[in-house]
Amino acid sequence: MNTLKKTSLAGLFAYLSVSSVNALAADPILIGLSITQSPPGSVVQGTQVKDAMEIYRDMINSSGGVLGRPIQFVIEDNQGIPEKGRSAVEKLITKDKVVAITGTHQSSVCLSEIEVAHRYQVPYVNTNCWADSVREKGYPEVFNTSPYNSVVADSMADTIKSMKVKRVVGFAENTDYGIGLAKGLGAALKKKDPSVEFKYETLDRASKDFTPAVLTLKSNPPDVVVLTMLPPAAYIALNQLYEQGVAPSSKTIVYDGAGMADYPDFWQNVNEAGKYMLTIGMYHPDMKQTELSKQISAAYKKKTGNEPNRLIFQAVDSLVVVVEAMKQSKSTDPAKMIAALKTGTFDGARGQMKFDSNPGVSFQQWVDIPYVNYQLTDVNQNVGKTSLLQGPGMPLNIGKLQHPK
Amino acid sequence: MSLFIDLAVNGLIMGLFYALMAVGLSMIFGILRIVNFAHGEFFMIGAYVYALSAMKLGLNPWVSLVVAGIAGAILGKVIERLLMRPLYDGYQSWSIVKDEYAVVVTFALSLLLIHLVDKVVGPSPFLGPSLVSTKRIALGPLMLNGQKIIAACVSVVVLTGLALFIKKSVWGRQIQAVAQNRFGASLAGIDPVKTTSLIFAISGLLAALSGALMAPIMNPSPDVGSFPALKSFIIVVLGGMGSIWGSMAAAVLLGVMESFFAVYISYDYRDTFGLMVLIAVLLIRPHGLAGRKGRET
Repeated sequence: MNTLKKTSLAGLFAYLSVSSVNALAADPILIGLSITQSPPGSVVQGTQVKDAMEIYRDMINSSGGVLGRPIQFVIEDNQGIPEKGRSAVEKLITKDKVVAITGTHQSSVCLSEIEVAHRYQVPYVNTNCWADSVREKGYPEVFNTSPYNSVVADSMADTIKSMKVKRVVGFAENTDYGIGLAKGLGAALKKKDPSVEFKYETLDRASKDFTPAVLTLKSNPPDVVVLTMLPPAAYIALNQLYEQGVAPSSKTIVYDGAGMADYPDFWQNVNEAGKYMLTIGMYHPDMKQTELSKQISAAYKKKTGNEPNRLIFQAVDSLVVVVEAMKQSKSTDPAKMIAALKTGTFDGARGQMKFDSNPGVSFQQWVDIPYVNYQLTDVNQNVGKTSLLQGPGMPLNIGKLQHPK
Repeated sequence: MSLFIDLAVNGLIMGLFYALMAVGLSMIFGILRIVNFAHGEFFMIGAYVYALSAMKLGLNPWVSLVVAGIAGAILGKVIERLLMRPLYDGYQSWSIVKDEYAVVVTFALSLLLIHLVDKVVGPSPFLGPSLVSTKRIALGPLMLNGQKIIAACVSVVVLTGLALFIKKSVWGRQIQAVAQNRFGASLAGIDPVKTTSLIFAISGLLAALSGALMAPIMNPSPDVGSFPALKSFIIVVLGGMGSIWGSMAAAVLLGVMESFFAVYISYDYRDTFGLMVLIAVLLIRPHGLAGRKGRET
């Protein structure tokens, strides 16, 4: 009886031990998402980032997870407010014990959050913060799969130079992104074509009336009006440029530096004012589609009923690098993940990603980020049917640019 | 010269829109001594009701405008009944009422309405349908937005109607009486509770109409009310807290001055200009341009 009892107890102990190991192995890996889920920040962007990341998370989990464990999100609403972002990241790291932070889509919020990630030495993958200063800080924990102002400014300056224009006016929203891109464009134009006269006006993104700024252009319209603004302010500015007959016109073209033409609500908000707008885009259906991007695209359409835009793929790519860093380092230890991120290459939705190690604006940035330049030539035009002036990695064909008659 | 006229006309139109928005806030403050932090959300609800009833239900935009105004009035009345009345019910003088509670209640209501619309309708901005089909109207050197002209005309009609209502109608006189002395009015047989309810309804109606008129111009999103609300607070202080006439004058003045300030001084500080005026008025003439010096005790 004693032997039976001992054997039973040993068996029970062994069972409990194995069960507990299995339970531990199945413990989810927590990844922190700091996104905007309520105003005043862009809830539209926050929702897109969340939807895209959930699709990729489910794909990973259904194929066995990472290191044998499922991944799980802890989501914090930063409201697009830097202070909220800072406390969200503090909470994610110290209370939730997440292994990495990602998802942020507004530069000013990124700038405050990376201070916390840097202090705790936790990997931080930037999803959509364009301000160069996020890179220039040189924090070893921060990796950037997002587009960045310098590359956008360079591309826009090349386009403007090809247009052989004399005068360009920028409308920049009063954020790190808006002012940063306008300044970057000014510097790039000075280098590439000093004959172009460029100035920009800073507009309050919370404002609803930009008419006085538009009226100053009426008597002497510039050749190009560059918008470094996000919706809804960008929509209002575009509509008011149209109302006053400033742009689009036979003389003046609007050049959007935010890639807003593929926002699902773009046409409903601008109608005729969006026609002839030239835009730099981080996604176009003519771009090379990876296997992952096709899967994400199909899943996103099924989930939301909308066509995917650049932010969907940016969000997926930022999660890809977090997941791959764990796989490549075979660890969830932040230091090991950071080491893997520094040296690894990662197959994402937009191509193969690798982070630059040079200090400055490209520090730990995926520099070969694909982009295009295209023009909307009709109202309610689908991005796939727009006039592509420059394909990814291709020379610019400015001859295709159209002006209203 | 053309720029000067353009700026004056645009400033005037914006001023009329500000006036429609600010007068309701001024009435609530001047007569009831309540700072309504949810006033911007009345504007937002008006914009949404107008746009959604026209776009989703297929109503004629003019009918939608009326529906939006009614919705604003009902919202104002409901908020007064459910949230405000418990603060003063049974009191005959506002001095007994702890009006800081109203500040907390209306601030919470503002957040609630923003988040409710964000979750129920969605976060995306959208452009409401225009009341006129012509988007651009050329008047000599001026290029005007048809909707803005309509908005300005409707604002003038509504504000004139309101002025006549307050001056000539029995209800308007009751509002004046309660504004002068709540206790005295009640002794004279006026029901202050009913009057309060009416003031909230009028305030809601004006803000909602303002939102509806601006829906085809301002691409409303759930937080669209913060911009007009801020302007309204500046106007109410500038015009004299509680003075309806002062608010109307201050609104037009602010609209025109902002327009010129933006171009001739600095666009960067255009919206700061109003706040600078606010501080200056509080320092130099705290009762505003047309306000009274004291409050009921």
